[in-house]
Amino acid sequence: MRFCQLDRIRELVPGEKLVAVKGLTLAEDYLKDHFPRFPVMPGVLMLESMFQAGMWLVYITNQFSHSSIVLSESRQVRFNDFVEPGAQLTVTAEWGTVDGEMYTLQTSAMIGESIAVRGRLVLEQFNLADRNLADRAVDQYLIKERVGQFRRLQDPRNAYNPAIAYSRQTNLNGSQH
Amino acid sequence: MPSKEEVFDKVREALVDALGVDDEDVQPGATMVGDLGAESIDFLDIVFKLEKGFGIQIPRDELFPDDILTNAVYVQNGKVTPDGLIKLKDRMKFADLSKFEKNPLVQDFGNLLTVQDLCNYVVTKVNAT
Amino acid sequence: MRWFWIDRFDEFVSGSYAVAVKCVTLSDEPVDEYSPGRPYYPASLIVEGLAQTAGLLIGQISDFKKRVVLAKVTRSKFHMQACPGDRMVFRTDIVSLQDSGGIATGTVHIDDQLLCEADLTFAYLDGRFEGVQLFEPATFCRTLRILKLFEFGRDMDGNPIAVPEYMLAAEAADVAIV
Repeated sequence: MRFCQLDRIRELVPGEKLVAVKGLTLAEDYLKDHFPRFPVMPGVLMLESMFQAGMWLVYITNQFSHSSIVLSESRQVRFNDFVEPGAQLTVTAEWGTVDGEMYTLQTSAMIGESIAVRGRLVLEQFNLADRNLADRAVDQYLIKERVGQFRRLQDPRNAYNPAIAYSRQTNLNGSQH
Repeated sequence: MPSKEEVFDKVREALVDALGVDDEDVQPGATMVGDLGAESIDFLDIVFKLEKGFGIQIPRDELFPDDILTNAVYVQNGKVTPDGLIKLKDRMKFADLSKFEKNPLVQDFGNLLTVQDLCNYVVTKVNAT
Repeated sequence: MRWFWIDRFDEFVSGSYAVAVKCVTLSDEPVDEYSPGRPYYPASLIVEGLAQTAGLLIGQISDFKKRVVLAKVTRSKFHMQACPGDRMVFRTDIVSLQDSGGIATGTVHIDDQLLCEADLTFAYLDGRFEGVQLFEPATFCRTLRILKLFEFGRDMDGNPIAVPEYMLAAEAADVAIV
């Protein structure tokens, strides 16, 4: 995923929470524009990293039951601090309420002990086949790709890594309804 | 003129919208910063919603007397001087400053404002228009 | 990946509202692999498109001298996804201007279908960031020209918005061959 805004998953408890890290490097091209004289991580990329943390939490908790998880709503996403090159964010998504296929999550990103951004996100999950039966093969492909992307977020050195542990427990072909 | 309940309901609605807190969190005695988690950026939003909801204008220094709190005449050693307190009380008649007066540390001022204070303030503004 | 999430302005009325457009294409770097097999445009970048439209609208009031940053996404709601081949139309309206910042509401449409609604709060950088500049005036001015801000920009009376003097001077100095 070219737009992956997480680097590694640190902690994962299905149905409870996911903690990941995301670093900001000066090598990012977009820092030339944001801003030319004050390179900082764009706020919406912090929002994206919180969305992706929530997305993986829902995928894993539901064992990749649905191919697509999208942002449906955000509420009170407050940017408290600038993130400069060299800083690493700890991104957390916490399970909230479930209403049908809608998942409300409390999300935040910290630099050390201080909050850089927090907000509430509502994610919606669906299968493309629910809307058009012919898309079933696309759902299967998407789920396979997502499992692969998820595995890339594992810790490459640590013997125990939550990402691998949970993707092994998971039916890798997805459990389609 | 809106009743006390109407004012409170509208203030609560503004706070729920701006802060993402639940209805029941917004109690008259709740402090904006400590209890409801308001940050400086939220006040932009709260001021806008109150101005729109009540048809009033809210000059910034009436709710946030930064000019007094950063003035060396009224602040010494991190504490508001007696003259400064008189000035604050005059400016913020709607707020209960009795607790703050006992140990008027500037750093504590930010967490003074309660939901009730905000309601009182709105009433004075509505009455003035 | 650069950081331009609108292609150009279509309408721009100083201190009031602005309309900008953005084409969603498979050659957009974040789109291609974002959702393999069914690519769509990330919601966060739609918020950024609104923020760029509204941020420039608020910045223009002070001739881009005040340093405007996105401080809060008070609310955003998405009704569908934007896909390659779609053309998004961003509209933002200023609803409040205060000493410390401003508030704008925005909508995004694809043809006549509502894709997104959002409320955004912007702050002016304050004393803690004294001396911090966000842009080089000359390059910033060139970007605003590319976005056709001055081409479509009008004041409340319908007169064209002029390029600020300090930007013209910076541009002139920037292209001088020494």
